[in-house]
Amino acid sequence: MQPILKVNLSTGTFEDYIIRAEWQRDYLGAASLAARILYDDLTIELDPLSSESPLLILTGPLTGTFGPATGRFIVAGKSPATRLWAESNVGGIWGAELRKTGYDGVWITGKSNSPLYLSLNGSKPELRAADHLWGQDTYQIQETIKEEAGLKSTKVLGIGIAGENQIPFAGIFCDHGRAAGRTGLGTVMGAKNLKAIAVRGNGGIPLAKPDVYKNLRIAANRALKEDPLSSVMSDLGSAGAAEYLDYLGEMPKKYFSVGALEGTEKLSGSSVAETILVGKKACHGCVIACGRVVDLGDSEKRKGPEYETLLGFGANLGITDAIFTTRMGELCDRYGMDVISASGTLGLAYSLFEQDIISTDDTGGLALNWGNAEAAEILVHKMAHRKGFGALLAEGSLSFAHRFGVEEQAVQVNGLELAYHDPRGASGMALVYATSPRGACHNQSDYFLAEIGQVDDTLGLEYFDRHAGAEKAANVARHQDWRTVGNALVLCHFANVPPETVLDLVNAACGLELSLDDLMRSGERGWNLKRLINLNLGLSAANDRLPEPLLEPLPDGGAEGYIIPFDEMLSAYYTARSWNAETGAPTHEKLKELGLVELNIA
Amino acid sequence: MSAVFPSLEWLEELKEKLNSDEKYARIAKNWEGDMLCQLDADDTLKEPIFLYIDLWHGKCREVAIWDEIGDKKPAFVMKASYGNFLSVLRGDLDPMQAMLTRKLGVKGNMAVMMRNVPTVLEFVRCAGEVTDEAL
Repeated sequence: MQPILKVNLSTGTFEDYIIRAEWQRDYLGAASLAARILYDDLTIELDPLSSESPLLILTGPLTGTFGPATGRFIVAGKSPATRLWAESNVGGIWGAELRKTGYDGVWITGKSNSPLYLSLNGSKPELRAADHLWGQDTYQIQETIKEEAGLKSTKVLGIGIAGENQIPFAGIFCDHGRAAGRTGLGTVMGAKNLKAIAVRGNGGIPLAKPDVYKNLRIAANRALKEDPLSSVMSDLGSAGAAEYLDYLGEMPKKYFSVGALEGTEKLSGSSVAETILVGKKACHGCVIACGRVVDLGDSEKRKGPEYETLLGFGANLGITDAIFTTRMGELCDRYGMDVISASGTLGLAYSLFEQDIISTDDTGGLALNWGNAEAAEILVHKMAHRKGFGALLAEGSLSFAHRFGVEEQAVQVNGLELAYHDPRGASGMALVYATSPRGACHNQSDYFLAEIGQVDDTLGLEYFDRHAGAEKAANVARHQDWRTVGNALVLCHFANVPPETVLDLVNAACGLELSLDDLMRSGERGWNLKRLINLNLGLSAANDRLPEPLLEPLPDGGAEGYIIPFDEMLSAYYTARSWNAETGAPTHEKLKELGLVELNIA
Repeated sequence: MSAVFPSLEWLEELKEKLNSDEKYARIAKNWEGDMLCQLDADDTLKEPIFLYIDLWHGKCREVAIWDEIGDKKPAFVMKASYGNFLSVLRGDLDPMQAMLTRKLGVKGNMAVMMRNVPTVLEFVRCAGEVTDEAL
């Protein structure tokens, strides 16, 4: 492994942090390794926006290797939104470029008195004044910094106005709209007065067995290109399965209150492909290219909408206009706000307005009736700038609901808004959301795909009915473990790569001789390590809950009438995980099995 | 006695079933496109076989067995081993699961396919219901 560049913004100094060799075997890289590195720093007293708060950007052993959809990296720290473990995963090109500088990660500590950006040209780090960048959006900083560097090939990762304004769901963005959107790490970066990190590498990507790896990745990419799921993602983007998910009742509408909405079919990858799609965009080395390039009629090529954007600014608000959702997605990207949390909080406001819990007196005169796109656009601007009613929304859905005395109506877990996969259409997602180490997240396990059949028996995964209950709990846990491996490598979840192929790639890249069991054990170790961090940060079994609206049946649609047997499922999940039902902590035996005993809390 | 899968007789029975099944007709009313099922050889099936099925607006217009794909371009090509096709027909393997676990390859317009997953599931149900005997 290459070192991590450790930057102290308070002192303006740099040092190389050497990663302990045995940690690669135990944690593989990226998210799991970040959890191990930051374990001691993440305390309950730590203010996520303080000088002491760490921000760790870390690649995985496959990042930038031209493996099958392996261009990604992660950002980690303590979340200002949840005050728990924060991790966010992002694609684009930046991660691969970072590794070419000779560093596998950048660890930001301290806090600058004035705006700065970090330039890493080759392996030479330099902190530069960023007063002129402050106030620029995440697209503008790309152009400004590249111009200053005189190199178009410089890759820029940075925050927008939302991060500067300390909005707790601000993300960190690279390469025009690639987002480490969740858990508010852009807010942490903004609090440090760090606007951007520009990298330009001139080295190679280290591989233990380059010739072996090359043959493996060529074969893996060829197979991936032929995979039917890749065809769906390539042709239709991340919303490729939208119609089917809607048919199953898994697509939320009107803030999770109904299962049917006329015109929903316009919010699908198929519809986008048939109306506004003009091209595709890929992350580093990816043969799928799920990124959409669209033309909204102004002859300008823009980033097209992803599934979460189509849903969040579409059906979630009672809107069925894909062009509008595209525009809102770009707005959020430019401001540097997480699309899911921003649209989720807006959805709550619309829901409360429709229930007469809030009125135009609260909203600054805006009538937040379902389908009012104009109001949503106004409020996105107001949120980013913390103006008027937007300032209330800018605190996120849990705080917003608390202000109006309806905390139970916020569709979130531990302060993070739910992704747009309704667990009433895919019950396994109930456990995924409730137990995810970073709040209601679909990237710690995209179990909704397992619910429609993506279960690899080589991992010991089985196929359960989407409305099965406690019997699928152990399967969900195993799926989380596998996706934890993916988030450590870092492997895109859209890439349907056989586990044996992943194993061969890891061994060739790292010079290890792991088995598939070792890989799964590493995933389980990472999952439980993040659990220990969260227990240290004050989490308990009481946090493993679903918001009340999701425990009610939907009145219509593909999941009409279904009630999630949540308590039974959670109980079975704790058993499968060997977690104590009272405390929510892993048992001593489990920690011993995973080699985590020395990290255990008192 | 039921026809044996895969055979022309089985295809004819499937055609009759599709053209008489009300639920299939209703759900598949917007489907337009022919398909070819390529059954690859395995331990049971010694040579590959190509089953051609032309589906249009909830009805089956034509069935045939082809010797090869050649230059023909059906709207969709489904490719799997004989054993995996049979598992799908017998309900032991969900068709979406087969696709997502690389047991069933699909070529064609994915926008049409994903928009019409319920049609595909209904087609598979009908095909399963005429599959009593196999090799």
